[in-house]
Amino acid sequence: MDVIVCVKQVPEVIDADLKINREATGIEKEDLVMHINDWDNYAVEEAVCIKEAQGGTVTAITIGDDESEDVLRRALAMGADKAIRIDPGERELDSFVISKILAKVIKDLEYDLVLTGVQADDDNSGMVGIMLAEELGLSHAAVVTGVQPEGDAATIRMELEGGLDEIAKIKLPSLLTVQTGINDPRYVSIMGIRKARNKELAVVELEDLGIHEDHLTPMTWIEEVFIPPETTGAEMIEGDAASVAAQLIKIMKEKGVNI
Amino acid sequence: MIIPYRASYWSIVSVWIFYVLAALAVAVFVFGVISHVSVWSRGARRQGMGFSGQGVFNLFLDGLLGRRIFRGDVAAGTMHFLILWGFLGLFVGTVLISADYWVYPFLKGAVYIGYSLCLELFGLMLTIGLVWALIRRYLQRVTRLERRIQDLMVPVWLLVVVLSGFLVEGVRLSSQRPEWGAWSFIGHGISLFWSDPRAVLSVYPYIWWSHAILSLGLVAAIPFCKLFHVLAAPVNIYLEGQPDLPIPAETATADEETFSTRQMIFFDACTRCGRCVEVCPSTGAGESFSPREFIAAVREDLLLRHDPLKSLDWFARWSDSRKTEKPDLDPQMVWHCTSCRACLEVCPVYVATPKVIERARSRVVEDGTQVPPLLSQTLEKLYKYNNPWEASKKNRAKWSQDLEIPDLTKTGEEDALCYFVGCTTALDTRAQDLARSFAWILTHAGVPFGTLGKNEPCCGDIARRVGEDGLFEEQMESCLALFERNNIRRVVTSSPHCFHTFRNEYPTCQALRPPDEKVHFDVRHYTQVIGELVSEGSIRFEKRLNIKVTYHDPCYLGRHNRIYDAPRKVIRSIPGIELVEMSHNRANSLCCGGGGGRMWQQDLDSKIKMSEIRVREAADTGAEIVITACPLCLIMLEDARKTASLEDTLRVMDLNELVVMALGLQSESEE
Repeated sequence: MDVIVCVKQVPEVIDADLKINREATGIEKEDLVMHINDWDNYAVEEAVCIKEAQGGTVTAITIGDDESEDVLRRALAMGADKAIRIDPGERELDSFVISKILAKVIKDLEYDLVLTGVQADDDNSGMVGIMLAEELGLSHAAVVTGVQPEGDAATIRMELEGGLDEIAKIKLPSLLTVQTGINDPRYVSIMGIRKARNKELAVVELEDLGIHEDHLTPMTWIEEVFIPPETTGAEMIEGDAASVAAQLIKIMKEKGVNI
Repeated sequence: MIIPYRASYWSIVSVWIFYVLAALAVAVFVFGVISHVSVWSRGARRQGMGFSGQGVFNLFLDGLLGRRIFRGDVAAGTMHFLILWGFLGLFVGTVLISADYWVYPFLKGAVYIGYSLCLELFGLMLTIGLVWALIRRYLQRVTRLERRIQDLMVPVWLLVVVLSGFLVEGVRLSSQRPEWGAWSFIGHGISLFWSDPRAVLSVYPYIWWSHAILSLGLVAAIPFCKLFHVLAAPVNIYLEGQPDLPIPAETATADEETFSTRQMIFFDACTRCGRCVEVCPSTGAGESFSPREFIAAVREDLLLRHDPLKSLDWFARWSDSRKTEKPDLDPQMVWHCTSCRACLEVCPVYVATPKVIERARSRVVEDGTQVPPLLSQTLEKLYKYNNPWEASKKNRAKWSQDLEIPDLTKTGEEDALCYFVGCTTALDTRAQDLARSFAWILTHAGVPFGTLGKNEPCCGDIARRVGEDGLFEEQMESCLALFERNNIRRVVTSSPHCFHTFRNEYPTCQALRPPDEKVHFDVRHYTQVIGELVSEGSIRFEKRLNIKVTYHDPCYLGRHNRIYDAPRKVIRSIPGIELVEMSHNRANSLCCGGGGGRMWQQDLDSKIKMSEIRVREAADTGAEIVITACPLCLIMLEDARKTASLEDTLRVMDLNELVVMALGLQSESEE
């Protein structure tokens, strides 16, 4: 079972003080710590678990500068066998361009399954996975919370709305976008990363891939990034527990909550 | 008059059979010992085991006299002393017989009489010791002692050997009736049962052979049962004197055994006495962990994996099938330990379970799949942000924002006193009071000092305790680099954990560096600094505080580093204070449950939290305040006081806060 996992390096923003950059097209990333996109981490773990259960190989791919090799090394430490970094140079990227680039590289590889995360932490677009599947002509499913490969098909579980899950069978090769919580990603120790230094990490220049200029032109661009304006409207309710509760119920009914 | 002499093999024919059996027994014994030694030799990174005077000294005190067995249980110490010396005496006696028979007959006359008397006494000691042992285990049913089949068989077998020995002697004396017979007073007493010298002559050989076979059987069995501790424990005791060699994390390979040779011996030295179980806070809290079980489980696992017989196909197949019957070593077992060292404190043979757990954890961490998720996240934070608490470095110096403390990374002062605040003290709201209090105290005493400000790294203790050796090394490197760059030579820490790591782990790890690359610095814990300031008069307590307090010894200040008195002296020098001790204090203080990385894990399967057990003990003394000297203890006990509903009866304060209270240094921001 050969699996390809697409991973992305994103800034960690949980407790960070975010500042909008001068062009108002994004945030200042200089002082931020970069790490693997959470969804992609689950995808790598899933790929490695499949390999551990059924044999085969795992290849991790990313598009990024040399700092993004950290994310590939981490995937190798978790159990991936080889990694590919596509260096985009100075190119602007959006989901369309990314899916074209990944498709170009993946097309020439041998695989049974491609895993991506549902979305990336920084732009939350959620587009690359499915667009990549279309480019590659693969069957696909999104928001997958369980994968069980069986021969030339896989039984998968997908998260729907309203707390519903769907279980389906999908023919391989296919692309699945992986939801967080599908597994418990293993801890990656410093020793593990050091030991993975011997594994193959190939670097490919974007310019060498021979992709048509049209396919490298972003179809979306960011107009403005801004911090949402502060608004008023917090009502403080005073009194003892009983009267506060009564007030709350009254307000909720007024606002249309069905109690 | 006949000169007293010894008639070896009296009335026994076909003595050659005895020698054949003896050779067989010795061969089995030697094979058993070699099996164990070969398992030990599979340990990683063999260490030099040179001569150590301290080792010999310990061997005498702890190995022969059993000093540590007496601690806390004089009955056990006495009983074991009787058994050990009884057996040793009889063993030496047997060696002397061989010498007398094969080399030169010196056992005659007064020498022989003295010899006979001594052996009677040794035999008596052994008998009394064994009977006492059986009474303790089966009648008194001492809780920490186990009652497996082995535990019954071994003392009973030994008892049968020694009693059959007396019987053999008694029967022989009843037939021989030598004039000097009364010196062997027990045998003599037995011999009085038969008046006719010929009465038991016919059964004598049977009794003799039974005694011989039982004795030889015992010798052969030694390496295969708990008796092996008589060989492994002395080795372990001797090695206790040897310093630990540093091992760089890089050198570990996948095939290499997790434990060092030195540590492999622990597993065989363990006597299953259960003292560790009695004092382990995890066991005490009802968790599914006990040091003894852990050691036993690992021992079995190692034996199954490394037994030299495994080179034989049929044995390998048999042992593999046995392994599948037993559950695999559960990696989750390792996460219960708080590394409080209470077990090592009481272990009579120095089995360092905390170290072994640390090594086991390093394997579990490297594998990665059995690391609790919360701990995983903590280690990630540590790696990225130099602290286990927040996903950010920005708040590191926030605690001191109103205090104008010099930042030693900017002032370039040489030889300043560096207050190494530590992650927990700097970032946890409750623990920050400790830092502020200490800063006020130093200022009041006129001691110039500085901190490392926002650039303060983590000392790496957490990484080390949970087995993330690679991360520990990185933290250590950045700490040392920072100290060197800023000429930091004198450090005082808030946390006993940082203190312990700087003082004990850093020098060992630095031992591999060439001399000109070593970074030297002197480290103290704040209790030592305050203690000095009080002794030299820079801090004088004028105000009277009429309160009753008790002191909780932090594991890393007390047991790990033997600092019990400095904090107590400080407390007692405050006029009006009454210091009462909890039932577990000083070397047997009870762990608060925060060490060993447990501060950053989910609650495990305890019936009652360790920290709650401790605050209840504090409340039982009638003290109004429990004083502690560690930020982790402070947080754990503070939380426990609330969950144990002791908020109105007990307060938790750090020693710094008590001193601040006594000096009246509270600023307006404190209510």
